[in-house]
Amino acid sequence: MATMATPAPKSTPGNMANFNILHGFAEALVRGMRSSFLADADYHHLTQCETLDDVRLNLSETDYGDALADMNTLIPTGLQKAAVEKLVTEFQYLRTQAIEPLSTFLDFITYEYMIENVMLLLKGTLSGRDINELIAQCHPLGMFKESTMRSIPTFESSPRGYQDLYQTVLVDTPVGPYFSLFLRETAGRSEVSNVLEEVEIEIIKSSLIKYWIEDFAQFVDSLGGETAIIMGDLLKVRADTNAINITLNSFGTPLNEPAMRASDRKRLYPALGHLYPAGTSMLADVSDEDELGRVLELFPQYSSIWNVHASGGSDGKSIDDAFYERDVQMLELAFEGQMHFGAFYAYVKLKEQEIRNLVWVSECILQQQKEEIHKFVPVFSFNAPWRAGAKKQGR
Amino acid sequence: MSEVPPTRMNQQVFKGKKKAAESGHKLLKKKADALKVKFLDYAKSIAETKSGMAADSSSAFFSLTQAEYAAGNFKQKVSEGSMTARVRVGAGIDNVAGVKLPVFTYYETGAATDNASLGLVGGGKKIQLVRQKYSALLMNLIKLASLQTSFVTLDEAMKITNRRVNALENVTIPKIQGVLTYIERELDELEREDFTRLKLVQSKKKEEIEENQRQHDAEAAEMSAKGLKSSCANESDIMARFDASDDADVVF
Repeated sequence: MATMATPAPKSTPGNMANFNILHGFAEALVRGMRSSFLADADYHHLTQCETLDDVRLNLSETDYGDALADMNTLIPTGLQKAAVEKLVTEFQYLRTQAIEPLSTFLDFITYEYMIENVMLLLKGTLSGRDINELIAQCHPLGMFKESTMRSIPTFESSPRGYQDLYQTVLVDTPVGPYFSLFLRETAGRSEVSNVLEEVEIEIIKSSLIKYWIEDFAQFVDSLGGETAIIMGDLLKVRADTNAINITLNSFGTPLNEPAMRASDRKRLYPALGHLYPAGTSMLADVSDEDELGRVLELFPQYSSIWNVHASGGSDGKSIDDAFYERDVQMLELAFEGQMHFGAFYAYVKLKEQEIRNLVWVSECILQQQKEEIHKFVPVFSFNAPWRAGAKKQGR
Repeated sequence: MSEVPPTRMNQQVFKGKKKAAESGHKLLKKKADALKVKFLDYAKSIAETKSGMAADSSSAFFSLTQAEYAAGNFKQKVSEGSMTARVRVGAGIDNVAGVKLPVFTYYETGAATDNASLGLVGGGKKIQLVRQKYSALLMNLIKLASLQTSFVTLDEAMKITNRRVNALENVTIPKIQGVLTYIERELDELEREDFTRLKLVQSKKKEEIEENQRQHDAEAAEMSAKGLKSSCANESDIMARFDASDDADVVF
């Protein structure tokens, strides 16, 4: 594993005996937010709606009521924006209540969104976009410090300008080290502008996300205790998901060419996870879906997900839905555990899934695709396949 | 029409005009029919394309929703990236019965697909589906645009042709016909006038002749009343008229 940017934490979250001394309040807060998730009944009402006004009416009785109060007409993008803002507000509240090492842990969660934002800013300025427009499009959870945000628009939008932007500002952001790591690994292409022009944005992003996962995993590991176990597992699964998805989605792209498989595609697989190292080295040689299926058969936890894809999407499910379902199951488990930081990560990710669901439902209503409306993964649902309630109903 | 002098020559001229107008009318009518056939053709294929379009576009937009569910918001990434056109629209001209119709054709520039690796860490397959659906939609859209533009142009051309046909049928030809009948009437009138004049002259002449005759007769009657005497005188005179002394002696 390459040298990582984050220093080792000064203290650990502790164990069952002393976790609450430092992090009890923050954990209590996040537990309190458990009740803000939409319940099965809410989803049921939402899916019965005929118009977006009905959706708004139904949401006004939920935790989203305040966020949507000053919205004249509900549109899916507006709903998404409001919901994300609400999540960000809650998250920032948690962040202000957190002390080390939880604060670093929470910061780590935002790095993922920061990577997206850096990519957006760099690519956008490269193609000569107005930087204020770009900032407006950034994910609010991945915003940089106020001072950084203020200095970004001062750079001119030219190749020279954004090289300055990278060298003086972005390199100092928390995700800057991942970026320089990527530049170092892409040796011979040291100029930022060249790398950005030559390498596809998704590949750079995937590389940065890989470094982030590795860094995060290392940090979590150093925290030890329950956090290391639960959060470590979440990140491992995340790494595997990325590896499988990258392989699957590379078919039909230049990344699947034999020369690129070993050099470029393999480098995108995170160096951790249940698939690492045996699985990822096998994945590196995979050239089509059949071969990918044969590799995944060896890993029971992924063969069932793969079967959803291989069976051509039985009951309309795709591999993405299967991954989401598995993610939600794991995140719910992580959220329900105590004395660890995984709950905070799970909270953010589950809320994200909820926002996705809301957007999905409202889009389905808007586009009158009623038969598709149930194809989302509800959070903390009693009817989830992994819950007792479902078994009783014989689902 | 009244300003046309009703002469034989003008009648000939207008007969020529009428013939030309009638053949023009026939030709235009043929053209209008050809346009109408094409017009109906286009209307039919527009209806077909449009009815498929509604379903296609809603499924394309829905596939975008599905992809966004799976891959997050990727629209901005597409718009930020450098883009080269993979599909272009070519313009051509189709000729239907002398009417030039614009035709748009879909052709691929052969440029490599941009953002092929979009959704690499999730949802890539869905994004590819979006690409397919929108490509198909774009193709239909171009086809529809081509049909619709042709349709409008054709409609315009057809209206003009129909106007011409109607103008010829209802205005020009009746006008010429009117002039012709007018000329004919005037000519007949003239003929009749001549005829009457001739008749009058003839009757006048007859009268005159009769008068003369009568006079002559009367004279003759008068003559015959003095008649015998005079005739006798005449007869007796017959020799008197010839004075023997007047004649030169006939010398044999």
